[in-house]
Amino acid sequence: MANKISDELITTVQSIVGQDYSKMDVLRALHMANNDATAAINIIFDTPSFKKSEPPKTPKVPSRTATVTTQDATRNATVKTQAAVSSSMTNNVSCSVDDEPCTSRSVEREVDKGNEVVNNLTGSSKWWFVGCCQVAGLSTCKGSKIKPGDQLNFTFPPEKRLSGPSPGKFGSGGRGRQPTACSEIVRFSTSASGEIGRIPNEWSRCLLPLVRDKKIQIQGFCKSAPDNLGLMDTINLSISVYINSSMLQKSHQTSVKVPTTSVDETSIQPLPTLFRLLGLIPFKKAEFTPSDLYTRKRKLEDVKDTSGVPSSLLNATKIKKSSSNGSTDEPEETISDNDLDNIVGVANGSELEEMEPSRTLLCDLRPYQKQALHFMMNLEKGPCVDDAATTLHPCWDAYHLADKRKVTVYVNSFSGEATVEFPSTLQMARGGILADAMGLGKTIMTISLLLAHTEKGGSLDKDKSEINGSDQSQSSSSPKKASKFSGFDKFKKQKQSLIGGGNLIICPMTLIGQWKAEIESHSEPGTLSIYVHYGQSRPKDAKILAQSDVVLTTYGVVSSEYSSENAEERGGLYSVRWFRVVLDEAHTIKSSKSQISMAAATLVADRRWCLTGTPIQNNLEDIFSLLRFLRIEPWGSWTWWNKLIQKPFEDGDERGLTLVQNILKPIMLRRTKLTTDKEGKPILVLPPANIQVTYCHQTESEKDFYDSLFKKSKVKFDQFVQQGRVLHNYASILELLLRLRQCCDHPFLVMSRGDTQEFSDLDKLAKRFLNKDSTTQETLPSKAYIQEVVQELKKGEHVECPICLEAFEDAVLTPCAHRLCRECLLSSWKSHVSGLCPVCRKTVSKQELITAPTESRFRVDVEKNWVESSKVSALLKDLEGFRSTGSKSIVFSQWTAFLDLLQIPFLKNNISFVRLDGTLNQQQREKVIKQFSEESNIMVLLMSLKAGGVGINLTAASNAFVMDPWWNPAVEEQAVMRIHRIGQTKSVSIKRFIVKGTVEERMEAVQARKQRLISGALTDQEVRSARIEELKMLFT
Amino acid sequence: MANSNLPRRIIKETQRLLSEPAPGISASPSEDNMRYFNVMILGPTQSPYEGGVFKLELFLPEEYPMAAPKVRFLTKIYHPNIDKLGRICLDILKDKWSPALQIRTVLLSIQALLSAPNPDDPLSENIAKHWKSNEAEAVETAKEWTRLYASGA
Repeated sequence: MANKISDELITTVQSIVGQDYSKMDVLRALHMANNDATAAINIIFDTPSFKKSEPPKTPKVPSRTATVTTQDATRNATVKTQAAVSSSMTNNVSCSVDDEPCTSRSVEREVDKGNEVVNNLTGSSKWWFVGCCQVAGLSTCKGSKIKPGDQLNFTFPPEKRLSGPSPGKFGSGGRGRQPTACSEIVRFSTSASGEIGRIPNEWSRCLLPLVRDKKIQIQGFCKSAPDNLGLMDTINLSISVYINSSMLQKSHQTSVKVPTTSVDETSIQPLPTLFRLLGLIPFKKAEFTPSDLYTRKRKLEDVKDTSGVPSSLLNATKIKKSSSNGSTDEPEETISDNDLDNIVGVANGSELEEMEPSRTLLCDLRPYQKQALHFMMNLEKGPCVDDAATTLHPCWDAYHLADKRKVTVYVNSFSGEATVEFPSTLQMARGGILADAMGLGKTIMTISLLLAHTEKGGSLDKDKSEINGSDQSQSSSSPKKASKFSGFDKFKKQKQSLIGGGNLIICPMTLIGQWKAEIESHSEPGTLSIYVHYGQSRPKDAKILAQSDVVLTTYGVVSSEYSSENAEERGGLYSVRWFRVVLDEAHTIKSSKSQISMAAATLVADRRWCLTGTPIQNNLEDIFSLLRFLRIEPWGSWTWWNKLIQKPFEDGDERGLTLVQNILKPIMLRRTKLTTDKEGKPILVLPPANIQVTYCHQTESEKDFYDSLFKKSKVKFDQFVQQGRVLHNYASILELLLRLRQCCDHPFLVMSRGDTQEFSDLDKLAKRFLNKDSTTQETLPSKAYIQEVVQELKKGEHVECPICLEAFEDAVLTPCAHRLCRECLLSSWKSHVSGLCPVCRKTVSKQELITAPTESRFRVDVEKNWVESSKVSALLKDLEGFRSTGSKSIVFSQWTAFLDLLQIPFLKNNISFVRLDGTLNQQQREKVIKQFSEESNIMVLLMSLKAGGVGINLTAASNAFVMDPWWNPAVEEQAVMRIHRIGQTKSVSIKRFIVKGTVEERMEAVQARKQRLISGALTDQEVRSARIEELKMLFT
Repeated sequence: MANSNLPRRIIKETQRLLSEPAPGISASPSEDNMRYFNVMILGPTQSPYEGGVFKLELFLPEEYPMAAPKVRFLTKIYHPNIDKLGRICLDILKDKWSPALQIRTVLLSIQALLSAPNPDDPLSENIAKHWKSNEAEAVETAKEWTRLYASGA
């Protein structure tokens, strides 16, 4: 049989695989392949470690020798190979044929070499000795010889790869033969006898990833073994583990982890496991470990009946009570709030201590606000800075390595990260979530916190370096935790050069003015310097930012500074280490994958706060993003969040929810308007709010119009349903619904272009052009041309876009008075901020573009043909009623076109009004709000629902009218709460208009269903079908 | 055919080119590729090219109209801005392209280029040198070439 392997065959194979593979290898392969040359070649190439792991200094037999010994080798090899095959080994067999004539010497040599390596490792600064341990190996070969003291070679199976070094040209024959031994088995061999056995699986599992990544090395020798080895005999081995010290240095901190994919998938970390196997006992144990979580989880099971969340919440059987009788008392009592309270819990007002605010706060705090101050101060304090810097972070274990150099290594039991740098609690969260319901004065509570304790970060830095002169203090800028976003990494480099800053407050653009005003009016002049970091020309210089006590900025600015191209030169907000970062309306960062969420989480700060009335807006995941921002470990790591909270929650396991509650309990403060104080009185007494739904009835002509529109829409919708393509046509269906809903407001709206317009007054537009013309004559087109354009615009003549050659769609006007479709123009630009005018090649920036008015926003002359819709009539009647009392009203609509329409009857009926919508910039908004609050003759503020959603304080008004229902009742509620909040002295009336027998009425039902979605009670599948159901409901 | 997803703009331009052609210019799309046009330009009067019929090919790349069409003379022509391969040196075909330009405007520009050769921005060095050193002689050569290559269509 052996003779069958002809020399010819060997030569053929060797000529293909090359001299890298010894004749021995080739023989082995041929044998395995039953003398099929092709298969043998494939085996060699498909088995990355096929070549036996000979030390390089065991010389390749010089070719001359090789030819001489061929016959011997062949014979010997065959014998050996048989043995190997019989022991079911297919590769990694160390059959050192070349050594055979001088076995004893070569063993000596091997041992020498082994010692040398050990010496190298122990002596080297790169490899630190972690520890040594006795391991019971199992023999896989019969009859092999091993004796105590024999040095062992370990063979690690190669990583499973899809693209191995297998050359395609040899056909696919070898694919199927890929040896199955590429598993997780770690084998050991001696130089003398070849493969001896394998080490236990639990060892292999944690050794493999680490060895593959060159993070550790192992060495071992035999301690004892049976004289006559049989299969599966136990061999006692001694294994020493060395860790690559460079992996523990700061720059590599995260790379100690297994590659990110596996971090995301597994919550078992090899390094901590290995330490455990080595019997390494942390001299300081993590207070908080994964196993804690599991045990806690088990505990939760027992307690869920008593303290768990009502299961009704998960089943979400609650449906908003029908309010068809016209009035419900407390709209803030909608299910959404209830659910929220159930999920996140509401603080018991009487339990909390109060804290007197700083004397620099120029207003009195209510008791519950003092409680908030105490709560916030306490959370910020944590352990005091000195202690914090020297206290071990509870997620980390501290180990002494067995190395002589007395190395201490810290291992994060959650992420598997390891470092030699002391992970202090300074990296831990200081801060939390202030989630008081709207209107309780989160802003003022925060201001009181600013006043009570603010330093400019620099001082803190100094403190720390005094406390521990060692390099430990450098760790203050928290290392980025395991995250599923690689984008975080790019910020690592610049940590060192951060400047200590003060407070950074991030809020929606609409609120900047209000924050500024409130800080200024509530703090003693001179105590807090404020700087608004906003606008195109904002400085990038960190020193300017760090100078002020309070820096106000918007989410947009943060996000754009985060995404700037040059991570290193970014500067701005990211070059400051903030004393405190406050996110106002923190639910803005709720989607964890969004850029703003990552941007916020990347900011470097010592204290972090989230202010939000709605910590959960759509689903539980919203919380994750907040926790990540707050650095509540280990929940800032998606792995743990997903495993222990998100998944269980989605599977309907209440423990997920209960765990969230437990996490949130210590770090979140939430009170609602109904929360009671020690005496059992509500913490906040606001004037009563009267909330009504006014059901309007359409006039006959309105009804006819609506009905025909409805019929048309329904035909289309039914088509989609029939084709089973409802969700594919979601957008067009929403469009159909939009028209129907607009029709409920006023039929004219259906005939309008649905967008907003900056320049609806053409003459104004003309003037603007002509004015400009007089100042900068040469750069602008002639008056005549502009006149012509304006004329064209006025007449609404059909001129086509010079790019798409179609009638204009969303036309814009360049400063050079050329009209193009917005999209055509922008897509012709290489940059997204500016480019050349395609017509005249003048440079134009995006900001200079003007939305060109079409003939008119409405296709009919609405002023001349003005007709009141039933809703408008109802509104006017109510407003007239307020005229005598002088009480002010806010009219909300989601369509600015409807606000346009409302202006007509307002003007006709001499109702003075101001208007606030998305087209106004910050200054204009502030002006409008001021005007509305201060000028007594202004009766109405027309406001678009979206523009007025958050934060604005409009307590000057005591009436609110919500003209049209919005899908998400929370948005509506937020807007309405602008008037029903602290500072409101008069009783408040809130009216929602619903047109009977239309899509609006059915939207109310959908809103109720929506609550279930918000509370996260439905699975994905259910959500899908629910969406279809919802839509069907609307078209009944 | 590749014409099924032809942009509306190209269809529109083609229709207009066919229904109201520019004077002295004819452009018709190839039947198997609507982005490929066979173009003929009459030599402008009072130019050395008068009386000639010049064939060109015009191709609209995928990015059109955000990228310029590719145009090339097929008829041999003696012109300082056109090389012997028929390539044309014209700024609007290169960096000065604007999506507001069209096939029609491009061809009109080429027609204009025939009327006003610009030896200062040459594509064909020799012809340009010739033009500069002895314009009369160069114009004669151009006329000669027109007779030779661009007469009987």
